[in-house]
Amino acid sequence: MKKLYISLILSFSGVLSLHAESLTQLEGSFKTGPAIILIAILVTFVLVGIFFRAKDPADYYAAGRKISTVGSGMAIASNWMSAASVLGMAGMMYGFGYNGLAYVVGWTGGYVLLLILMAAQIRKYGKYTAPDFIGDRYYSRDLRIVSAIFTILISFAYCVGQFGGIGLMFKWILGINYAWSVIIGSSIVLLYTLISGMIGATKNMQIQYVIIVVSFLIPTFIMTFKFDYFWLLPQIGYGAAVSDIVQGIPAPNISEGVALLNAYGHDFSIVPSPEFAMPWDPSTGTTFFQWIAICFSLMVGTAGLPHVIQRFYVVPKVTDARWSVVWGLFFICLVYWTAPAYSTFGKLLSSNPEVGVLAKDAIVVYTAQLGNVNSLIVGLLAAGAISAAFSTVSGLLVAGASAFSHDLYVRVINPSSTPRQQLKIARIGTIIMALAVTLVALMKLGLIAQLVSVAFSMAACTIFPLFLLGIWWSGSNRAGAKAGLFAGILVTTISITYFIVGLSGGSLPSQSFISYWLNVWYFAWIGAPLAIIVNIIVSKLTTPTPLEIKKFLAEQVHN
Amino acid sequence: MESSDQYNFSIFRPRNLHGKKNRNVILTMLLIWAVAVFGFQFLLRGIEKPTPEKALTLFESTWPAVVTGELSNADYKTFLYALVLVKGKSTIIPGDQKVLSDAISCVAFTVVPDSVRILMISNVRDLDSLKSDLVRATDQEYLGIKTMIAKKNISLAAISESYSGFKAGSLEASIFTGSLHEKHPESLGDPTLSALPGIMKFYLTHNQSKLTDTRFLGFPFHYFYTAVFLLILFIALCIVYNILIEWRLGKEGIVE
Repeated sequence: MKKLYISLILSFSGVLSLHAESLTQLEGSFKTGPAIILIAILVTFVLVGIFFRAKDPADYYAAGRKISTVGSGMAIASNWMSAASVLGMAGMMYGFGYNGLAYVVGWTGGYVLLLILMAAQIRKYGKYTAPDFIGDRYYSRDLRIVSAIFTILISFAYCVGQFGGIGLMFKWILGINYAWSVIIGSSIVLLYTLISGMIGATKNMQIQYVIIVVSFLIPTFIMTFKFDYFWLLPQIGYGAAVSDIVQGIPAPNISEGVALLNAYGHDFSIVPSPEFAMPWDPSTGTTFFQWIAICFSLMVGTAGLPHVIQRFYVVPKVTDARWSVVWGLFFICLVYWTAPAYSTFGKLLSSNPEVGVLAKDAIVVYTAQLGNVNSLIVGLLAAGAISAAFSTVSGLLVAGASAFSHDLYVRVINPSSTPRQQLKIARIGTIIMALAVTLVALMKLGLIAQLVSVAFSMAACTIFPLFLLGIWWSGSNRAGAKAGLFAGILVTTISITYFIVGLSGGSLPSQSFISYWLNVWYFAWIGAPLAIIVNIIVSKLTTPTPLEIKKFLAEQVHN
Repeated sequence: MESSDQYNFSIFRPRNLHGKKNRNVILTMLLIWAVAVFGFQFLLRGIEKPTPEKALTLFESTWPAVVTGELSNADYKTFLYALVLVKGKSTIIPGDQKVLSDAISCVAFTVVPDSVRILMISNVRDLDSLKSDLVRATDQEYLGIKTMIAKKNISLAAISESYSGFKAGSLEASIFTGSLHEKHPESLGDPTLSALPGIMKFYLTHNQSKLTDTRFLGFPFHYFYTAVFLLILFIALCIVYNILIEWRLGKEGIVE
């Protein structure tokens, strides 16, 4: 039997090899090998979704609380590592040098906040969704509705970047235009989210994590080996390449008689480019303030993202919630330690003006191509990037659908609904959201990482303060929560309004001032603290929190 | 009768000894986290100094002679070299790229004899034509044009090699040939090139310090710290926190 499997795998590899083609052209043509890999992976996702499909609402929302710590950690990592992590982050470092690292630190450091301030307490509180917690903790139907709407908006903003990433990779593999790529990709992810729900999605996320990590790491081993850096640990080996970029590599670079060339046959050389690694270099158009603001917004946003918070409901025990964060963070870091290597090699391999500056969001795949990595491995890398986007989108769609059906429909519109009706509404919500996201993704409003960071700032200004104070201060009451939420929404609205006006070529009073200090990618640096301060002040001035809430918090949440 | 106040708590004012110990662990972790992330960046900001690249020194040593029009052949090569080193950076905005290309073209076509200039201009025209064809090409045609551009660049670099000082086929030669335009200012004193010193200073000055110049495991130290070490620290903080919390829960007999 084993021999049969091996021969099947070998013959499959043989077919792929026959279809492997020159990848010297970075874009444009249909790539058969990568397409077969992609289709095989997608079919696996759908089959897993069917096999582990949700049978009732508890399964759909919270995977029936049947997921182990390591499995949950992998699901957290997979759910977390989106197109923004796999594609966008390297693109930010490629384009903005050291300031791109604010995304690496921001998207990992937030987990420390999440663990210390949220994970176990959320699990102990025992609610399914973020609006559930907020509505209950602040004994307010209005807050439940508003937070449900924001959960949908945050998931929506997050999804836009993901669908953009899916579009780019489908475009690269299939050689079709961006619009069709987005439509095909979104249809597939919608299909399997609908039939699987959270439990199928969680199983898929574990498979997706393995695909993401394997596909992401292999090319870096190959490139560090090929270009004569320390290849046994590419996450450290690329460091010498960073220093080489700073100092410049004179051409020709000959190693043991063999010239090191990119896919176009250019020497592995670069003019001195300290701007790639030096902090907040003026020539990258970034500043120290932006580094701090982006990093802070992403960290705080991490601890306020509904689809991340929701993952803590799916673990069986409180201690599992804590350890799943550690596992999740470790699995995330495996990819985040590696992402800068792509931007570094991308920088080196595209230094020749004949290659030109590469599209930032596709830098990971282009780098592997320019590094003459085997076309099938590049194809796997692209499929891994799609997996990353898929895993996140499925989680986001479930979070958005949960907010729609569980927090709006069941709690507000039709409390006497049957489980069957609830599941139906969840699925309708998923479809509506996926369609709307597809339409916005087609507009290409920004880079993937930037689009995703809007969701983080929104979460940091709205959900995070309510969770932080809701868990850690019994004095935070309904009036304070409403006022704080209003402050967060106000900052969010101002920032997004200025962004949209600026994008459409218009101008509002103090346009450049607001666009810099309240930029849509990092407005939470002021929005989140403001929402917290307003919440505290108003809570102090109004009727105290009811006894039963304080008692529950003290006894159940804080032992 | 239960009082509302007896259940009052905040992270800063816990209700019992368990809460106090919990608070201490949390605040210590947060302090380490904040100092490690933001403290380091503020330190980096505090000690950095604007540091020029070698190319800026080369440029500034030749610029006075450019202004007075007294450049020697060696000065031209040095000047050109400095310009090419900046032009080769990927962060140059289009407006500044044009100024740099104009300056490179001006110098290149000034130093060569008329016969070579005519030959170079003919090659530049061919290259421009190929580049416009490339935009519309796909698949094999695209690759074919790419190859022709590469050959043409080498040919153009070879023609001007003894005047520019750039070896044909090298990166500097590619940047040089890719910058050449038929239409360019007649002299370096042209008003359109007055922005050149500012452009050179902008792109060739970087925020550097002891932390950026020190190498660690091959990395510039600050880069290693931010891209590698901080992530290790985050995981370590999470593990230590979990162990501490669970050890204390066990010790106090609290079942969650």
